[in-house]
Amino acid sequence: MSLLNVSESILRACEWLENTQLGILVRESLYGFPILAAIHILGLTVSVGTLIWFDLRLAGVSMPRCPVSSLYRRLMPWTLAGFIIMFVSGAMLFTGFATKAYGNVYFRVKLAAIVLAGANALLYHLVTERRIADWNDAARPPMAARAAGLISIVVWTIVIMAGRMMSYTMFSG
Amino acid sequence: MGSLLAWVQATPLATTIGGSTLLTGFLSAIHLLGLTLLVGGAVVSSLRMLGIILTDRPLDDVTPGPVRGMFVGMAISVASGLLLFAPRASAAAENSFFQVKMLLLGAAIAFYFAVYRGASRRIDHARLAGGIGLLLWAGVAVAGCAFILLE
Repeated sequence: MSLLNVSESILRACEWLENTQLGILVRESLYGFPILAAIHILGLTVSVGTLIWFDLRLAGVSMPRCPVSSLYRRLMPWTLAGFIIMFVSGAMLFTGFATKAYGNVYFRVKLAAIVLAGANALLYHLVTERRIADWNDAARPPMAARAAGLISIVVWTIVIMAGRMMSYTMFSG
Repeated sequence: MGSLLAWVQATPLATTIGGSTLLTGFLSAIHLLGLTLLVGGAVVSSLRMLGIILTDRPLDDVTPGPVRGMFVGMAISVASGLLLFAPRASAAAENSFFQVKMLLLGAAIAFYFAVYRGASRRIDHARLAGGIGLLLWAGVAVAGCAFILLE
């Protein structure tokens, strides 16, 4: 299948999504969009907002006397709850404006950054975290852990910025 | 007051921002980054102050970083917020969601400097201060969303 065909079928899928009952509801109801967008943004501030502090600990910047593993155990439930809220509301918002989002360059940047964030987290959990016993209490974790924390902060900053730019450029024209 | 807002709105800075969707979007992105830092710092520090997370660590091991982070987030959000406010000063000032947001913001900032910062390092009153601080900032965030999305 050529790239053009792939792009064409994604566009068809987007059109189909927009015509589902959910898509129509999100787009046409008076308060559907603002309520979902507010939930999306509030979920973001809690999820990324708490994740940053784990990332800063990994990077060796903050909370040097807190063991990395206990900070992870205590913060992750809040981060994950925020992520679930953010992903569900984001997916619902997408059904209402799928074709416009698909054609928007900031949306593509945002998706790419989310994939990078996921890959970075996966790499951390599968490789770097396996030897956590050696540096759990260290004020300055090893290079790989510090890099994982900094990369996470950078890519989530890109996600937030691209997401905001997307909503400003998507509806014009 | 009305003429002051009209003057703000007519400044070259305000008209430049108001005339550019990209610039407004960029400032709005910075505004949200500041809010994320602020809310994240408020959640982490207040959860410790409330005795919900990391209770096996003393307050001093947990709260200083996030409480400083709240200040950085505040500075970023207020600076970008003023720039976003300038091009539509008159309309925003009349919006009731915006008025509620400013009222809560004033209370939250005053509470942060007068009570929260100090209480985040002491055992006594840490719970009460943590709870009030978290509620105030949640209120600012919700009112901010209502203002931008329902105007």
